[in-house]
Amino acid sequence: MWDTIIINPMTNILVWIYDVLGHGPHMFGLAIILFTILIKVITWPLNASQVKGAQAMQELQNDKEWQDIQKKYAKDKEKIAQEQMRIYKERGINPFASCLPTLIQFPIIIGLYQSITHALSVTPFDMLKLARAIYPFQNVEGIIPLNSTFLWMDLGRPEGILQNLIHTSFLPNGFPLLAVIVALTTYVQSKLTMPTSTNPNDQSAQMSSMMSIYMPLLLGWFALNFASGIAVYFIVSNILGIVQYAATGRANWSNLLPGGNKQTAKKK
Amino acid sequence: MNTKRLILILLTALGAFVLSACSGAPAANNWHGLAADAERAYISSGALVYAVDLNTGKEVWRYPAEADSKLLFYANPVLTDDGQLLIGSAGTKHSFVSLDPATGKEKWAEAFSKGKGAWLASPLVLNDMIYAPNTDGFLYILDMNGKEAADPIELGGALWAAPSTDGTLLYVTSLDHKFHIIDIASGAVADPIDLGGAVPSSPAVGSNGVYVGSFASTVEFIQPNGRHEVAASAGNWIWGSPVVDNETLYYADLDGKIYSLDIATGNQNWDAVQPDGPIVASLVIVGDQIYVATEAGTLVALDREGKTVWEKTVGAKIYTTPIIAGDMILVAPYQAEFVLAAYDVQGKQAWTFTPEK
Repeated sequence: MWDTIIINPMTNILVWIYDVLGHGPHMFGLAIILFTILIKVITWPLNASQVKGAQAMQELQNDKEWQDIQKKYAKDKEKIAQEQMRIYKERGINPFASCLPTLIQFPIIIGLYQSITHALSVTPFDMLKLARAIYPFQNVEGIIPLNSTFLWMDLGRPEGILQNLIHTSFLPNGFPLLAVIVALTTYVQSKLTMPTSTNPNDQSAQMSSMMSIYMPLLLGWFALNFASGIAVYFIVSNILGIVQYAATGRANWSNLLPGGNKQTAKKK
Repeated sequence: MNTKRLILILLTALGAFVLSACSGAPAANNWHGLAADAERAYISSGALVYAVDLNTGKEVWRYPAEADSKLLFYANPVLTDDGQLLIGSAGTKHSFVSLDPATGKEKWAEAFSKGKGAWLASPLVLNDMIYAPNTDGFLYILDMNGKEAADPIELGGALWAAPSTDGTLLYVTSLDHKFHIIDIASGAVADPIDLGGAVPSSPAVGSNGVYVGSFASTVEFIQPNGRHEVAASAGNWIWGSPVVDNETLYYADLDGKIYSLDIATGNQNWDAVQPDGPIVASLVIVGDQIYVATEAGTLVALDREGKTVWEKTVGAKIYTTPIIAGDMILVAPYQAEFVLAAYDVQGKQAWTFTPEK
């Protein structure tokens, strides 16, 4: 079921793009980049709704009525919840709108990872599975095996540079340049999209702050340990996310500076 | 908000778990490799290589003693005349080792570790030299002590199959659709021949050249001077090596059809015989019988006319080519309750081997 709905279509799109590009060296990397752009275009409305939802929730945190409710029913959590739901309804806010794109991202990330390893087929058994996953209209005999070289990387394996200088049990592939870029771009993206808050008890802001540290580390760890093709996806996806958010004019560039969030909050 | 935070953390943790479970960095999984001598069968089965007593079906030794997550073994081990068992790792650690077939102890002072890719192909041993193809596209040439005897030969695409030889030339297939002819004496490599599809198996040596099956669904006949032509075709990919037996060429495809070609006339001897599933393993011919292992998990014995003599349900998918050891047929099914089963020539099961944990 998972294979039929997620893995096989993704694998076929990747293989098709690779074929259209001329299926030579570096083309699978380009196929991943184009595929990422395609995913971003498809999920653009969802991401926009995430931004809108997050913004609405943030504005709510600074809303007087909302803050009054928090104070008034401080000892009655059930009542607070009821009042919150009332306000959500009245103002047409979906509290989970900002979660939906995140939920959709996970099957895509997992599916893409599996599609990349699937398409690159490092063992005969993988190759056999790939042969059966490719749709009949594709010129599979001519395409297989896919060339996994992209720049200095083998997209089917974890990335690293300077292997001759750096070789430890923790970094068996050398210096993980891509993992560092993944962590950095994830950090930049999360910081830019982090809304400002004047409410010191704003749990949403606290959570955003925590996630801006947690997510770069997590995705950096993925990039460090898994096929470098997934790291290429993360980087392109992050850059496009930053561009998309900047295009809305809401990017909080001052957040990138130490204490930037507090300064902005004070100004407000 | 706490619930939302919890959901996000759980999702990311789930993502990490799922990705981890997707068999991360190196070679994921594959069917077993198999070899045998008069006393033992040797089976490479993921993290471990096992030696199994042919009489009892019991484990004699395992290598390494404790599984190492960086070592994975899938290639068919190769026995040498001077008492070595050669096998390379397809894991993140690309060790190529020599073991003592009797004890499983390493024989070389140190493993050969210059290969940059996985060892999926078996080596060829000829005139006290080891020709070891690697997925990094190089053919490594070692002496019998595991030292490099000559510079590796760069062939390009990933090498998944053992080289074949007529004693003068090496014939090497590659996954990048290329076929290579190498002069053993001089090391000269002829211009590669494009076969139109990936070649995951070894060439079959005939009297005037070699036969190579490929994903182009053809068997190509290639002469030592590089002249080549399509000798036969099939309905689907040809994965296993063709087999030359006197004047007949046998081969099978992923449609599950078995073909018998009269080499002299180029005519098929029978309408394609089709047991019960795709055929990845090479065919095995002993005496008057042709043994076929199917992905559907059936071991079939055919006579020379293509008639079924007997068939046996092994119980799991079979991709590994069965081998003959004495008067037994050894079959290594994939993802079965056991990793090895022995049958007599009438198809009666003698024993199965399941490794103890």
